[in-house]
Amino acid sequence: MATRKPIKKRSVPATATKKKAAPPAVAKRQAAGKKLAKSAEAEADEVLDVTGDEAAEVDDAADEAPAGGKSSGRRATAQSMASKQRDISVSEFFAKNRHLLGFDNPRKALLTTIKEAVDNSLDACEEAGILPEIWVHIEQTSTDRYKIGVQDNGPGIVKKQIPLIFGKLLYGSKFHRLRQSRGQQGIGISAAGMYGVQTTGKPVKIISRISPKKPAHYYEIQIDTKRNEPKILNGGGEGVDIAYGEKGAKDIEKHGIEWVDQPHGTRVTIELEAKYNRGRGSVDEYLHQTAIANPHITLHYTDPEGSTREYQRAADKLPPEPKEILPHPYGIELGRLAAMLAEAEGMSITQFLSTKFSRVSPAVAKKICTTAKVSPRAMTRKLGRPEAEALYHAIQATKIAPPATDCICPIGEELLLKGLYQVVPGEFYCAATRPPSVYRGNPFQIEVALAFGGAAATQNVDKELLSDLLEETDARTIRQFLISTFNGLGSDAADRIMKAAALGTRQTAKQLKPKEQERLLQAMQNVNVAEGQTMEVMRYANRVPLQFQQAACAITQTITSTNWRSYGLSQSRGGMPKGPVYIMVHIASVWVPFTSESKEAIASYPEIQKEIRLGLQAVGRKLGMYVRKRQRVKQQGDRRDIFMRYLKEVATAVHELNGVDRDNLYGQLVTVAKRVTADADMKLDDRGRKIKEEAAETDYGDNVIIVDPMTHAAAIKRGPAAVAVADE
Amino acid sequence: MAKKKLTPVAKAPKVKLSPRDEKTAERLTGLADRVVTAANNRKDPFVDIPSRTLANVKYSPKKKILEMGNATNRRQLFDLSQAKAYMRTMLVTSGCKKLIDQGKSTSLRGLFYMLKHTIEGVKENTFDEQGECDTIIEDVEVLLSSIREELHLYAENRGAMVGGIVLTDKGDEINCARMGSGGYAIPSIVEPDVIIFDKKRCTAKFILHVEKGTVWQRFNEDRFWEKHNCILTHGAGQPPRGVRRMLHRLHNELELPLYCVLDNDPWGYYIYSVIKQGSINLAFESQRMAIPEAKYLGLRSIDFERCQLSDSVKISLNDTDRKRAKQVAQYPWFEKKPKWQTEIRKMLSNDFKLEVESLISKDISYVTEEYVPARLRDQDWLD
Ligand SMILES: Nc1ncnc2c1ncn2[C@@H]1O[C@H](COP(=O)(O)OP(=O)(O)O)[C@@H](O)[C@H]1O
Ligand SMILES: [Mg+2]
Repeated sequence: MATRKPIKKRSVPATATKKKAAPPAVAKRQAAGKKLAKSAEAEADEVLDVTGDEAAEVDDAADEAPAGGKSSGRRATAQSMASKQRDISVSEFFAKNRHLLGFDNPRKALLTTIKEAVDNSLDACEEAGILPEIWVHIEQTSTDRYKIGVQDNGPGIVKKQIPLIFGKLLYGSKFHRLRQSRGQQGIGISAAGMYGVQTTGKPVKIISRISPKKPAHYYEIQIDTKRNEPKILNGGGEGVDIAYGEKGAKDIEKHGIEWVDQPHGTRVTIELEAKYNRGRGSVDEYLHQTAIANPHITLHYTDPEGSTREYQRAADKLPPEPKEILPHPYGIELGRLAAMLAEAEGMSITQFLSTKFSRVSPAVAKKICTTAKVSPRAMTRKLGRPEAEALYHAIQATKIAPPATDCICPIGEELLLKGLYQVVPGEFYCAATRPPSVYRGNPFQIEVALAFGGAAATQNVDKELLSDLLEETDARTIRQFLISTFNGLGSDAADRIMKAAALGTRQTAKQLKPKEQERLLQAMQNVNVAEGQTMEVMRYANRVPLQFQQAACAITQTITSTNWRSYGLSQSRGGMPKGPVYIMVHIASVWVPFTSESKEAIASYPEIQKEIRLGLQAVGRKLGMYVRKRQRVKQQGDRRDIFMRYLKEVATAVHELNGVDRDNLYGQLVTVAKRVTADADMKLDDRGRKIKEEAAETDYGDNVIIVDPMTHAAAIKRGPAAVAVADE
Repeated sequence: MAKKKLTPVAKAPKVKLSPRDEKTAERLTGLADRVVTAANNRKDPFVDIPSRTLANVKYSPKKKILEMGNATNRRQLFDLSQAKAYMRTMLVTSGCKKLIDQGKSTSLRGLFYMLKHTIEGVKENTFDEQGECDTIIEDVEVLLSSIREELHLYAENRGAMVGGIVLTDKGDEINCARMGSGGYAIPSIVEPDVIIFDKKRCTAKFILHVEKGTVWQRFNEDRFWEKHNCILTHGAGQPPRGVRRMLHRLHNELELPLYCVLDNDPWGYYIYSVIKQGSINLAFESQRMAIPEAKYLGLRSIDFERCQLSDSVKISLNDTDRKRAKQVAQYPWFEKKPKWQTEIRKMLSNDFKLEVESLISKDISYVTEEYVPARLRDQDWLD
């Protein structure tokens, strides 16, 4: 097993062991005309020359023009410097700073690309009122190159917009409006495309159809980084149409891309330099967590090994459509205010304030103007920077009603539970959706859900998967491998597994002998990792999982500063609580305040932290009730065990002393022991009727699920498999 | 149900029990009967064990002995922290009953091995160390107010005696004046059913108890007991119960005064205190052990000067010694005795201690020929 080839070119291996699905177009693609493929490659090479393989080459090009500066004795003159001073295009800027967008390394680049595409698909479907069905396919094309395809059954994109969306940075529909959505800065998908072009020279390929009556449209696009302009490579700069049905399928095949035939939808294909891994921060994790927070989606995921995982939707209803709202004055920054003033033509300042912002009546607008000492009837165009600043300060000083909060669409406690229950193992689930609140004029809402008591991921691994995981891992030692591969596995637990497997701490992950793998598997199955296991946190912003910068995030910070000891978990001061607990925290907002462009951590606004804390406390209290109850039951059980252990001895001694019947006395003592430890009985029967009495006794409130961990599908086989089982 | 008659063991005892054994056996069986009654009533069986802590020990100024108070600790079967101890208590009880029924005695270690086994179904032993068993034995002693000897348990023999007395030990006549250099080893059980004194053949006029075997040998070699007409004993340090009980019987039944020659250090004071008033741990046995009339002959803190000893025999006090000396000074039976307070204060200001052997630096037989005779003649002792 250790000798399996690391590279798999096709997703249709003959030796399929798991459930494998070949996307319809793939097989045919192999037969596609070689000529066409060749010309596409030639084109791609040219592209390479223009854009450069690396961002550094953009530098060289920029330096060409001002060569004359060297003539003078001084290093540079104002003139020579002036000739270098010019506009920096956004695309150029980001080409140099791709880490800001989440393309810091090949591993992350893969994730970011998938993420941008999937988020767009979900947003588009939901906006169009379509229950989303998403296909994700990752293929390895060479050692460090992957081709990703993401398709949706969404509304499609009109032809003329396609190049702009995929070939121009900062072109989007979501930036200018305040509405809860996944994408936000509008940088997303085109940046991914640009990264792909830069690292592989391959253009972004898009198929989109907006109606069954219209042909699908196919574009091959690359971004002109200097001008931040799309360049269309096919159809003489026009793209090509692809007919519906048989003929279309043939066309698509010719272009070497896949397309699951749909009346409407979009598929984007990007080839990029990347690295595929499982575990933390992986694509698998992202899709998994996305399925949890979006129980209304169906997801087909074919990984680079060709195995397909199906996440079937658990809810048949779309979340309600989020409403678009005008910005609230409190949330506006000075620069943005100045820009809006400049944009707003032919309006008085009162008109401007009361039409461009929410909660500003003409009266309030007048009040702001008075405070700012600006005439209410002054025209916006005439206002300079000092006035803008005065208005800005006046806004902060004026009492304005908080924004309407009905524009927020939380997942809701019931669906949170459904999503969590279906995917995460556990025996106790609860959820809390907080009422909406406002930070800096932006409405937001916090939701928290929790699963407790699941078997650890290490116990759900079989021999085959383990050897796969060992082969894929970057980790140098087994210990590292365990910690980085299995969610929530602390170093304590890893050490205990190592010890049980009798493996050296410094043993290399990749060089395990079959016998050692066997021992490792045994140990993973046997060691109770729940001890020393730390809380597993899943963070979400507008239903999108946040997988990085955990420590910088307001969610994590609030979790660690909450006292979980009072909820029955152990926790060192300011640390993550310990125990088999999964917690998901979701912030829904018209404008999620991220700490950086890469949208990975929530900024710590006090209002947001407060709401998170309240949400955590709400589920914490319920957890505390359950844990204490469980502990009591367990303690009673332990107590009884101890008593039982000694009862025979006591009965024998008494029998020897006074000749009383030993068995009869023993029976009586057992009865007393049972009475004394009565609580333990509830657990003994809890698969039957008693559990109801128990629930009546402890009032957990709404939206709590308690299950027998042994019979819960997700506890036995985690992840996609669990979902499949649960569906049957 | 609760009134169900308890059928006594049908098993005919192999040995005819002495009245004393019968009484003990009855008490032991009583503990078992209480378990049955509790179980019949669906109740949690328990025993109330008199507490053997300092807090539950009182000094009776009238009787001049330590006595045990009334405080008890309840030991319940259905209490997590006590279940095992309860089980052990019943094991020891049944073990002792077996010994009595068979007319046998065993050492503490013997009983430990008798009762030690793996509990059915678990990898746990009834007892792991002898100490665990010993404390339970003491519990049972106080619980039934039966002394160890009555439970047919004995400690290791320690201590010896010689002198002008004839006694019978399990039917064998022992003339303590003809015991050679080793002396008569004082058994751990010296109760009247084992040892009987021949009053008429007792020529001794007092008892001289010395701390250690080495000192005792000096006295024996010099035939001190013959010259001074006494009984000479030692207890190998802190005297075991057999020795204390022997002294108690000699003192009370033969009306012999007791004089002690112990080291001049806090430990020597403490040994004297135990002989005189009883020990904290076995306060319930003070009645049968303590000899309030016992006298402390030496060594004294003044002996360094009085006997003009050389500097080389001084042993400096350490912190524990000093602490201990202050504790001893506060014992209620020393507290109000100015002589004792002076004695202890003097030792503390000396800041050294003296062993009885230090007198050898003067002369090998100084202690037997000069020191002790002089003290006895001058009636110079502490009380
Ligand atoms: N799969 C898709 N289906 C329909 N519209 C899409 C799709 N992907 C992107 N779009 C449109 O393109 C715009 C730009 O996308 P993007 O560059 O990712 O920025 P953002 O998602 O932040 O708005 C989106 O706002 C959306 O209107
Ligand atoms: Mg986007």
